[in-house]
Amino acid sequence: MSEAMQSRPAARTGGLTGAKVGTFLARQGILIAFVLFMVGFTVANERFLEPDNILGVIRSSAILGVMALGVTFVVISGNLDLSVGSLMSFSTIVVLDLHDKLGPALAIPAMFAMTLAIGAVIGFLVGYLRLNSLIVTLGMLSAIHGLTLTYSGGQNMDIADKEGTWFSVFGQGEALGIPVPILIFAALAALLGIVLAKTPFGRKVYAVGGNGTAATFSGIRRARVVFSCYLVSAFCVATAGLIQASRSMGSQNTVGQGMELEVLAAVILGGASLMGGSGTIFKTVIGVLILGFIQNGLLLIGLEFYVQYVVTWIIIILAVWLDVAAKRGRLLSPIA
Amino acid sequence: MKLRSMLAATTAAGLGLAGAATAQEYRIGITQNNVGVDSYQTTYEKAFIAAAEANDMVETVVLDAGGDVARQIAQMEDLIQQEVDAIIIWPTNGEAVIPAVRKAFQADIPVIVTNSNIAKQGFDFVASFSGPDNITQGARSAEIMCDRFKEMGIEDEAQIVQISGQPGYTTAIERAKGFEDRLPEVCPNVTLMETQPGDWNREKSQQVMEAFLVKYDDIDGVYAGDDNMGVGALNAAKAAGRAGDIVFVGATNFAVGYEAMANGDYWGSIYQSPVDDAEAALQTAIDVLEGKDVPFLNYFDTPKITQENMGDFSKPVF
Repeated sequence: MSEAMQSRPAARTGGLTGAKVGTFLARQGILIAFVLFMVGFTVANERFLEPDNILGVIRSSAILGVMALGVTFVVISGNLDLSVGSLMSFSTIVVLDLHDKLGPALAIPAMFAMTLAIGAVIGFLVGYLRLNSLIVTLGMLSAIHGLTLTYSGGQNMDIADKEGTWFSVFGQGEALGIPVPILIFAALAALLGIVLAKTPFGRKVYAVGGNGTAATFSGIRRARVVFSCYLVSAFCVATAGLIQASRSMGSQNTVGQGMELEVLAAVILGGASLMGGSGTIFKTVIGVLILGFIQNGLLLIGLEFYVQYVVTWIIIILAVWLDVAAKRGRLLSPIA
Repeated sequence: MKLRSMLAATTAAGLGLAGAATAQEYRIGITQNNVGVDSYQTTYEKAFIAAAEANDMVETVVLDAGGDVARQIAQMEDLIQQEVDAIIIWPTNGEAVIPAVRKAFQADIPVIVTNSNIAKQGFDFVASFSGPDNITQGARSAEIMCDRFKEMGIEDEAQIVQISGQPGYTTAIERAKGFEDRLPEVCPNVTLMETQPGDWNREKSQQVMEAFLVKYDDIDGVYAGDDNMGVGALNAAKAAGRAGDIVFVGATNFAVGYEAMANGDYWGSIYQSPVDDAEAALQTAIDVLEGKDVPFLNYFDTPKITQENMGDFSKPVF
């Protein structure tokens, strides 16, 4: 529970006394890392900070970001979700296929229903049957991939009439000069952030992840909480699939392949513990943005791409180190 | 997918038993890479089965490795056990399958590699390679782009970027090499400013192109390692309002690329048909079995397609 409480003062550091600033920095090491990288990339290429680029990166990150919001719930509850990449491919393919068969107004709710149904299966297996979430979702990763391929017959899915449909609004639209994917990401982050930090359900998620036995003895229905976390995750994946489908109006069956690990990296980078019980939506958003801006920044610098893989890893390790160092107030481990 | 291949294999084996008394001469086994992972491979399998059914002289055992090297090696061993007359393999991995290919060679079963070749040290055990010539494809894409720049009169100042396939993947390396070697020969003053991988992925390619558009004020052409990535780049340029200034050239013409060409957004590509690919593989196997003189690298033609001649080609099914 301690981490849950940590999350709240962040917003309330209005009075900037020295001690408060110190505490704030200690709690937001990842934010410091984020700012440092932004400065670094801006020095390397002045175009990095252009509004168009910033908006572009956040829009590209929105798909990963929306998925990471849901996985944050699952991770805080002490479980894993490795099936989100496959599930995103599934949602994308299904909504594209149904778009031409039923029209967008029916295709979208139908896709959400199918994705949530799969989420419910996972939630049931992990929550009520208490099966290991790593095994269940690893299995689902390939099972859902098979399901997608069976559904599509292995063919790419494309919307026939790409110009004449309002379906493009979710991925390509703009409101008030801001791309719609960013608005969806922001709205969902705000909503889920409030759910996690301010509602009884949110506190139960932390309690179940922090100490499941204690939570059960406190009268929390553990299975139901875990089940709900997977539903939240599936809802987020369906939203991500909607943005993805609308953005490119067509898709391969493997569009989400490998994203489960990127999502997990963003969530962990944001400081959620794989052991459960800690993490916040705000930090996950920072984790997502760090990953997005690293990718974009390295492209703008124009590094040889084989080198980029290595540099990406170095930056992630640096970020995690800064976060840990800020928390304990020193660079090296006190025990080392 | 597995189930389907097994069914296909069982059916084929059943046909084999039934057909043993009739005039069928050759039993040809095929182990494919990963049917269903993309439309190209799905269409390839359908075309292969159709071509085999249309030919009374052959019966086939159709297997799919599902992208798994170990399974493909086991399938090779099964086919050797079944004493088929020839084996066609679409390698899941150019190195790892060599011992299995060698085993077939030692059992006097000719092996035909299809679509993507195995590594050089395995060439001694292979009767023939049937597939596209990716270096030529890259070179032809360079020619398409250069010709277009000449028509526009900007062949002396044009600046381009390249979005390549997955790093480490032979097709990606060969297409990039073919393009990069040929471009300075035909258009020496065109500058290739930067190359970044799009991983055969439309969304990834779109992100790469967004970064290019921010970084470079003047982009005259984009070469993408396949049309899927090319269309991703086109989407990015459209969103930035710069698609009209850019010549897009891809490879492996996809349906989306063909449509974008018809709309006038996308200039050209390379027409590579999975149907031709599958038929060429089967024909190569038959030719080898009939003792014909088959070249070791038996490429099927992959012609240039642009907005100007696209009427000569039917829209790709994938």
